[in-house]
Amino acid sequence: MFGWEYPPLHLGGLGVACQGLVRGLLHHGVKVTLVLPYASETEDTDVRFPTDIVLQKLHVQSMLQPYSTFESFEASMRTVSKGNVDVYGHDLEEAIANYTETSVKMTEDLQPDVVHCHDWMTYEAGRRASAHHRVPLVTHIHATELDRTNHAPNEYIYQRERVGFEAADKVIAVSNYTKNVLVQHYGISGDKITVVHNGSMDLPPKAALLESKRACTKKHPLVLFLGRLVTQKGAVQFLQMASNVHQLRPEVQFVIAGHGHMLEELVDLSCSYGLQDAIIFTGKVTSEEVKQLYTQADCFVMPSISEPFGLVALEAIAHGTPVILSRQSGAAEVISDCFVVDYWDTAKMADCVLTVLREQPLAHQLRSYAPSVLDRLTWQNQAAHVQSLYKNLTYCSA
Amino acid sequence: MKPLICLYFQVHQPYRLRDLRITEIGQGDIDYFDRVKNEQIFRKVAEKCYLPANKLMLDLVETYPDFRVSYSLSGVFLDQCKEYGPDVLVSFQKLAATGKVEFLAETYYHSLASIISLEEYCFQISKHVHTIEELFGMTPKVFRNTELIYNNEIAQIARLMGFHGIIAEGADAMLQGRNPNDLFRPPTFRLPAHREKIIRDHRPLPKRARNIAVLLKNYKLSDDVAFRFSDKSWVGYPLDAHTFTDWLMQSGGHSANLFMDYETFGEHQWEDTGIFDFLRSLPGIWEERGIEAVTPSQVIAGWKKDDAHEYDIHNTISWADMERDLSAWTGNHIQDAALHSIYALEEQVKATQNPQLIENWRKLLTSDHFYYMCTKYWSDGDVHKYFSPYDSPYEAYRRYSHALHDLRARLNP
Repeated sequence: MFGWEYPPLHLGGLGVACQGLVRGLLHHGVKVTLVLPYASETEDTDVRFPTDIVLQKLHVQSMLQPYSTFESFEASMRTVSKGNVDVYGHDLEEAIANYTETSVKMTEDLQPDVVHCHDWMTYEAGRRASAHHRVPLVTHIHATELDRTNHAPNEYIYQRERVGFEAADKVIAVSNYTKNVLVQHYGISGDKITVVHNGSMDLPPKAALLESKRACTKKHPLVLFLGRLVTQKGAVQFLQMASNVHQLRPEVQFVIAGHGHMLEELVDLSCSYGLQDAIIFTGKVTSEEVKQLYTQADCFVMPSISEPFGLVALEAIAHGTPVILSRQSGAAEVISDCFVVDYWDTAKMADCVLTVLREQPLAHQLRSYAPSVLDRLTWQNQAAHVQSLYKNLTYCSA
Repeated sequence: MKPLICLYFQVHQPYRLRDLRITEIGQGDIDYFDRVKNEQIFRKVAEKCYLPANKLMLDLVETYPDFRVSYSLSGVFLDQCKEYGPDVLVSFQKLAATGKVEFLAETYYHSLASIISLEEYCFQISKHVHTIEELFGMTPKVFRNTELIYNNEIAQIARLMGFHGIIAEGADAMLQGRNPNDLFRPPTFRLPAHREKIIRDHRPLPKRARNIAVLLKNYKLSDDVAFRFSDKSWVGYPLDAHTFTDWLMQSGGHSANLFMDYETFGEHQWEDTGIFDFLRSLPGIWEERGIEAVTPSQVIAGWKKDDAHEYDIHNTISWADMERDLSAWTGNHIQDAALHSIYALEEQVKATQNPQLIENWRKLLTSDHFYYMCTKYWSDGDVHKYFSPYDSPYEAYRRYSHALHDLRARLNP
């Protein structure tokens, strides 16, 4: 398996999903050799990583880093002149070529039954390893270039993704939403794509927490946003919603947690909406702070413009917080007890927030019913789907 | 012995709520209901079901002298006929004019009042009885409660109101091996005096009935048509009218009671499944084989109290879901909150004597609003989802709670 970040360095996203999947597979007795682009220590699986030369190269460019810091690449692409994009693109290509070369070489002597790779940067390595070992290739897609760039993709990356999907025997998408993106915008046949939703690492909230939340009526209810401050995550939509809510209930407190290149723009925008006394920008938050925020929030809003899955929604639910989700997300497919709105319909989003804050029986039901999804979507269960997909593939090719 | 066959069809359309917003609450005379959607759905069902099915029924009762059917038309359905479908109303009136069609009584607003407010319950049944008299020139003698919600007390109340028959679900657990086609009666007992007085004061029919018969839905045979007719994985597929008649004859007892939503014809089972052809061929086959299709009142006419088994129902039953209880409309937090809040306004709403406001309140009592809030099987894509006009149970509650708040704002300006 060609993956990223093990154990995860960041909350949410690719690293967490890879870790969850690997642990789930190990639970079912699947042997996993994990290939990572840099060194990390782990006890529970066989990990191999390319040489220091590659590692260095990756770090120098600070581009071939996993998902969570991927925006830095995007941001730098935006800030450099057109001529330089080619240069960066060229370097990125080279970095990947080196990574691919090395990782394929170091796995030459293995005897895998399946090669499984995660997101576009590993696809070429996966393709070549699968060809070398003559075993089926599974490409797993956690986020497409279209999600990240609001449908203004970097052509090179988009092509790499497409080639990866086409080379695969099976593609695993993290949601039907993402499957549709692949079918519609990458021209991949729906039959080839299996949807395996992400799992959750969290346990459902304890009854005592739910009761204490039920008993508590606040003077200043708290509405939370958590995510990178990039277009994709919909922080602008969050502010529009907040402005609507604020007009009717000025006592409501909003928190935008997370960092990203849009911070300054968002602060300006919140002031222009007259929200300066009602909103807090936390900047980067630690995992302990995140827990605190989830627990204290009366409503969590995920207004993403395009969200392949949205693990934050499951995290909020695990802390007994009602969630309002963008319809343009994978999480909305699997969570029954929530509100779902189109990300652009910020007036309705505001109405849902106000209803959750006003109606105690509703809030209590969302808090107490939604966590059933966490029992259903465990990584053990989700890894079992992946395992049976492996079995089908190896049976067919045998 | 060959059983009689009793066909009864339920016809109902709720007033679905509009995408209300908090910002509208207390802004004066706002309309809670989605006129566009209600009209669209009404017209769609009218074209696919009501009009073609009524035409077929009229043809059948005119062709076969012994063929009879019965209907229960909710009051809110009749109101929507006036708004969106005078042609549909006329087609029912034509059926009524044959004298071979019986209309049953029910709660005007298709409400859950039977389990919450006796006074409102009596009012709604009276209003319904009077409306049927006015539109179809006949007085209902048999009662069907909303979604066949039934218990011993509901049966006694119906008797005290003057009905000589009541429709109920033939639930396996209650039948305990007995045939639903047999004749049944509820246990007799007195209601508390104050409750009897409420019924006396609001009695829909002139005097109480001496006895009341219970007609039980034969759910197996009913569901063969209503749910399984087009199910290709069903062992009985495709269902042939002769085979179905064999099953009816084999089912024995006094009368096989086939009760179902009228939308079965053309809406739940589309025309291309052959459902209309199936229906069309039944009366001829029945005539040949000497089986009579009768109305509930005709079933009861051949009924003797002493022959009847006791149908003893302490815990309320209904025809909904697998559970056959009230859990389609009550039980989760949002359903209970909504039900409690709307009935809590009863006295205050009525005290205003404002007809528009009272009417709005009553339209909010329709059971469908609570059905849409059901979370029992939502994630499995169950019938609740199929029937709901909204995205989710929470969307149903959001709209409903806004209507409630607006109603309160009008009561306490």
